Amino acid sequence: MTVNANHVAGEPASVSMGFPVTVGWTHAAIAVFSVLRLNTPVNLTMHVEMHGPLLIDFRHHAFSWSTPLDQFPVDAVHTGLETEPTSADAPPFFELPGQDLDGLLWEMGINSFGGAAAYWLPKGERYKLTRWPNVTRHSHNLRQMKMLAVLGNTYASTSELATLAGVEEVEAQSLINALSLMRILSRSAEAPATAAAPETAAAKRKSLFARLRKRLGR
Amino acid sequence: MAEHVILFTGPMGAGKTTAIRSLSEIEVVSTEANNSERHIVDKATTTVALDYGEILIDGEEKVRLYGIPGQKRFDFMWAILKKRAKGMILLVNSDAPDPIGQMLEFIDDFRELYDRGGVVVGVSRADVIAGPTLGDFSEALERTNPDLVIPVFTVDPRDRDQMEDVLLVLIANIEMRAMFGMTTAAAL
Repeated sequence: MTVNANHVAGEPASVSMGFPVTVGWTHAAIAVFSVLRLNTPVNLTMHVEMHGPLLIDFRHHAFSWSTPLDQFPVDAVHTGLETEPTSADAPPFFELPGQDLDGLLWEMGINSFGGAAAYWLPKGERYKLTRWPNVTRHSHNLRQMKMLAVLGNTYASTSELATLAGVEEVEAQSLINALSLMRILSRSAEAPATAAAPETAAAKRKSLFARLRKRLGR
Repeated sequence: MAEHVILFTGPMGAGKTTAIRSLSEIEVVSTEANNSERHIVDKATTTVALDYGEILIDGEEKVRLYGIPGQKRFDFMWAILKKRAKGMILLVNSDAPDPIGQMLEFIDDFRELYDRGGVVVGVSRADVIAGPTLGDFSEALERTNPDLVIPVFTVDPRDRDQMEDVLLVLIANIEMRAMFGMTTAAAL
């Protein structure tokens, strides 16, 4: 059976047939999310034009790719995708340790769905981090850091997150997509909105975060 | 002049002095002495009172960076500085005999700092040996402190960019918690 963008459930496949050529990472993110949801040992190979095969060993939460993540090709052309069932005692897909899969999921999530919600995220929910991503290892900007500080402390919808962190909603949605792909987000339709405490005079001046960021030249 | 005190804590050999040197814009004041516990951590010297560095912002305010000795016998220093601090960067070296246990012990000892401001954990030397994963550290925190979502990162204390990230996350977290009325600290 083929695991592709339109087929998100079922048993892991051994061979891919007819995976459509796609540009960007949305279809790849859907495929990866589907495999993660299967929760069975699977290896996955993505064929990315000009970048060689990208190998993912879900059992060891690792990937191997000749392209460094700091040169992540946002508009990559995907020409094929294969999954292969494996078992708990099978040898690893490639020589370990490889690279931490979270780094790839971060980039994939940030750069997919074009700022729209990932298809697996229902409307009307609020989100909160269950754990922080390893920001010292993922390329990030300080707006994302601020959004993470929101989600680390309270449930927020995408629009609330954008308002609280002072960013565009598209950017908030991309971060939510990435964190949900990394499975470090809890979701709730019942969690109430969190009101910010009334600003004190001290808080109204530019925040220390902003002052320090400027001082550090970032 | 406004001051913001940030503590660097953690066991001996985790990289506290190095981390402060990476961040400070003044020459770090260190009180080091010969390490009498080389059977525990193989380094020639260790901090016995404190390390001090600072970052000056616009000539108007200072972020004071204090590193305190890791050994429990110096915990009288902890009490003094803990009262003044807004937040804490806890460094734990992954190649220590029980890094997760050490992390939990320090979190426990400095819990009031989390309640008052915020805490970030940096796991150093994670690339040196195949020690516990970052997930292992996070899971231990979730198990013992289910109400806290403490940021846990791998860090190289020698890397200025990484240490700036850790400091900025700490500040962002403290400010966000204050904005939501979750801390007892005044605004930064």
